[in-house]
Amino acid sequence: MEQLIAPQFLFIAGIVVFLTVIAMHLIKKSISVVYFYVIQSSMISLLLLYSSFVRHSFFVLAVTMLITAVKIIIAPGFFLRLIKKNELKFSASSYLNMPMTLIAITIITAIARSRFFHPLTVINPTNESTLLISIAAMLISLFMIINRKGALSQMIGVLSLENSIVSFAFTAGLEQKPGLELGITFDIFVWIIIATVFVSMVYKKFKTLDVTEMSRLKG
Amino acid sequence: MLTSQTNFIIALIFLAIGSIGSLAFRKKDSISNIWGNTFAAAGSAFGLLAAARTLFLNDIFSFSLPSTFPILSFSFKMDYLSAFFVFVISLIALLTSVYGMGYVKHYYRKYDIGSLGFFYNAFIAGMLLVVTANNALFFLIVWEIMTLASYFLVIFERNEPKNIEAGSLYFIMTHIGTAFIILAFLLLYKSTGSFDFEVIKNSAGLISPLTKDIVFVLAFIGFGTKAGIIPFHIWLPSAHPAAPSHVSALMSGVMIKTGIYMFIRIFLDILPNTPLWWGIIMLLVGSISSLLGVLYALSAHDIKKLLAYHSIENIGIILLGLGSTLAFTALGLNSLAIVALIAALFHTLNHAVFKALLFMGAGSVISKTHTRNIEEYGGLIKLMPYTAFFFLIGSMAISALPPFNGFASEWLTFQSLFAGIQSSNMIAEWSFVIAAGSLAFTGGLAAACFVKVFGVTFLARSRSEEASHASESSISLKVSMAILSILTLVFGVLAGTVATSLSKVSESLNTLKGSGVAATIQNLSMTTQNVFASVSMPGILLGLLIIITVTVLIVNFISRKQKEITGITWDCGTKPSPRAEITATGFSRSIVTIFRGILQPTKQTDIEYHDANSRYFPKTRTVNLETTDIYKKYFYSPIHKLIIKVSQYVKKVQSGNVNAYVLYIFIVLIILLISGVIK
Repeated sequence: MEQLIAPQFLFIAGIVVFLTVIAMHLIKKSISVVYFYVIQSSMISLLLLYSSFVRHSFFVLAVTMLITAVKIIIAPGFFLRLIKKNELKFSASSYLNMPMTLIAITIITAIARSRFFHPLTVINPTNESTLLISIAAMLISLFMIINRKGALSQMIGVLSLENSIVSFAFTAGLEQKPGLELGITFDIFVWIIIATVFVSMVYKKFKTLDVTEMSRLKG
Repeated sequence: MLTSQTNFIIALIFLAIGSIGSLAFRKKDSISNIWGNTFAAAGSAFGLLAAARTLFLNDIFSFSLPSTFPILSFSFKMDYLSAFFVFVISLIALLTSVYGMGYVKHYYRKYDIGSLGFFYNAFIAGMLLVVTANNALFFLIVWEIMTLASYFLVIFERNEPKNIEAGSLYFIMTHIGTAFIILAFLLLYKSTGSFDFEVIKNSAGLISPLTKDIVFVLAFIGFGTKAGIIPFHIWLPSAHPAAPSHVSALMSGVMIKTGIYMFIRIFLDILPNTPLWWGIIMLLVGSISSLLGVLYALSAHDIKKLLAYHSIENIGIILLGLGSTLAFTALGLNSLAIVALIAALFHTLNHAVFKALLFMGAGSVISKTHTRNIEEYGGLIKLMPYTAFFFLIGSMAISALPPFNGFASEWLTFQSLFAGIQSSNMIAEWSFVIAAGSLAFTGGLAAACFVKVFGVTFLARSRSEEASHASESSISLKVSMAILSILTLVFGVLAGTVATSLSKVSESLNTLKGSGVAATIQNLSMTTQNVFASVSMPGILLGLLIIITVTVLIVNFISRKQKEITGITWDCGTKPSPRAEITATGFSRSIVTIFRGILQPTKQTDIEYHDANSRYFPKTRTVNLETTDIYKKYFYSPIHKLIIKVSQYVKKVQSGNVNAYVLYIFIVLIILLISGVIK
């Protein structure tokens, strides 16, 4: 597919996604993690909006609106309600302490920028740096799911991973047809509802969302 | 007249109707039984017609049904080899179905007759499809149908915990075997790009020698597990006895032969230029299976378990023929390879016939005495004379006594092995020597074993209340046993004709094509080509008849003036009772002692005294002789322990922590990405 979005804009979007993922690692407050997710999703929505203008596609615009609704309004709304309802102010505990987390993030970023991943940039050599940043964002999001003990943080980690993949796809010029993107959005929407309901039920039963304390799900 | 293909399709339709109808009438035991077995018999009769037309009228067919999956095709082919196996399956299934009509009655109101009919018909259909499937994926589907149907038949008498245990063991072992089979097919697919047997056969040149060797090992373990070769036979002695007797007859007589069918199909038809070591391995495994099978049979007290062990023995004998074929092919002696293959195929047919007869005889006895323990039989010849007579014929056939069929095929196997001993290759020569020695031993021990079984079961006095009140079985049981008895004699006397028909099957195989006629018949005498031996089965029958007639005449002549006086049996002052009889344990004890290195017997003696304080006068003395399953002790137990140990370590990986699982994904992802990039 022909690259229509300016490389500079893609780079900024990639950087925002990358930085928000790191920020999610650094902060402890669950509510702040949700806000950073909103910032990250807003960047992705902006990317889509830009794409719809460049491509002069009303359908893409409609998809953008829908994605905005799901990622910036509905999903955070669910999470904030969950936090409020269950008073989950400081549930974002992690396995590694802060310095170790930072070291791990550094190593992951170094790996993403190493020669091993360099051949991947042949997809779109113009946006080499952005592609590598997006890969790093993906891996760090995955690391967030591994490192965080709280179920809520893990859910946001999954969504952040999805945002990083979208960012990578845009940078690589792998945008899909609007119909498919609509399907993906619907998929995420359903996933968020199920996950939120499930987390809510788990909290009611165990009075915690710390996954280390949920190894025996017999209640 | 209907073509072979039409007959075959009708057979499958009848079996399908039999299956579904049995379930539909499950609330009425008698209707369900008659429905299931009638349609099974009708389906088998059409199967027999289809096979006969292919074998004798050269009506070979192949057809394919469309499938939505690109690599799967419901492809059938009935060539001579398939037709031979369809013939064996249909023949035995026809007779077991007739037998089943009477035999199943004793399950009424105890078990679900509808499900028995359903799985029984599905089982027969599964076997017919296995030997006609022409696509590896389709083959795996029908193989699984056959396996699952037989599994449900094994656990049919589900009130017995032992049967459930036997079923589980069978289920696990057979699926381990299937895993090996899948791997073998995948390797063939990798080399030829197709799952179609015909394509694989035509592209066999693309398969590297190493791949062929790996396929051999995988297929040998996979199909060998189904065939019950040692050491993969562990399921067989417990699963076959657990099933109803007419199903045991099918499983032991026919189902295990599907493994043999695939050995022949893959090693002699699909893969050309087989190396010598394949044949050597088969000869050695065949020797071990035949010898150990008969040794364990000797020490068994459960009549069906004993017969199941004899199946292992006979599969060993078939492997000797098959191993000889492979070795001769590798040595470039194709004419001898055909003789050896005829021996293997002939023994496949013969074993199916006499083993079905013996299982039916055993079933007849069990249905009247309600026990499988031969120590509790005795004196049944007076109460069940027909069953005794038919069982005797089966015993003589399995003991390879002329003029019955077992003798003919074992004689041919011996000739192949003797020819192999003259081989120029030293390793082959010694393998043939070992195999011939093993077969000689096996023959002798089998005869001893059946002297024990027949003597302890039918002769002397009844040793239990139930045995003393037994009565002859119903007409359907007697008819099927009678037909099988006649067949053991017919296949024995007309061995030359059968061998000629089988030479046609052998020569049709890819590896042995155009090797010349191996066995000839002259006035119904059997002569093997090139070599040494000939035997006239009708001559033997005639000789035996003359000897018997002359003996009877001489005895009558000598005793014509003597008076017959009936007196009291010399009894040493005590009344003759079952206690004075030799038991099965006592009979086999001396042989078990000779082979104690292998059988590792343990003896437990219990004595009960009239007066426990004085301990001078024993009331009862019991000797309990048990043997050790060495393959369980030295092969399966260590594997079992290892698996448990490894499982405990692996369990730690499955911690129940989501983070850990995502970490595994993360690591694998990184490795894949890095390895992908490096590549």
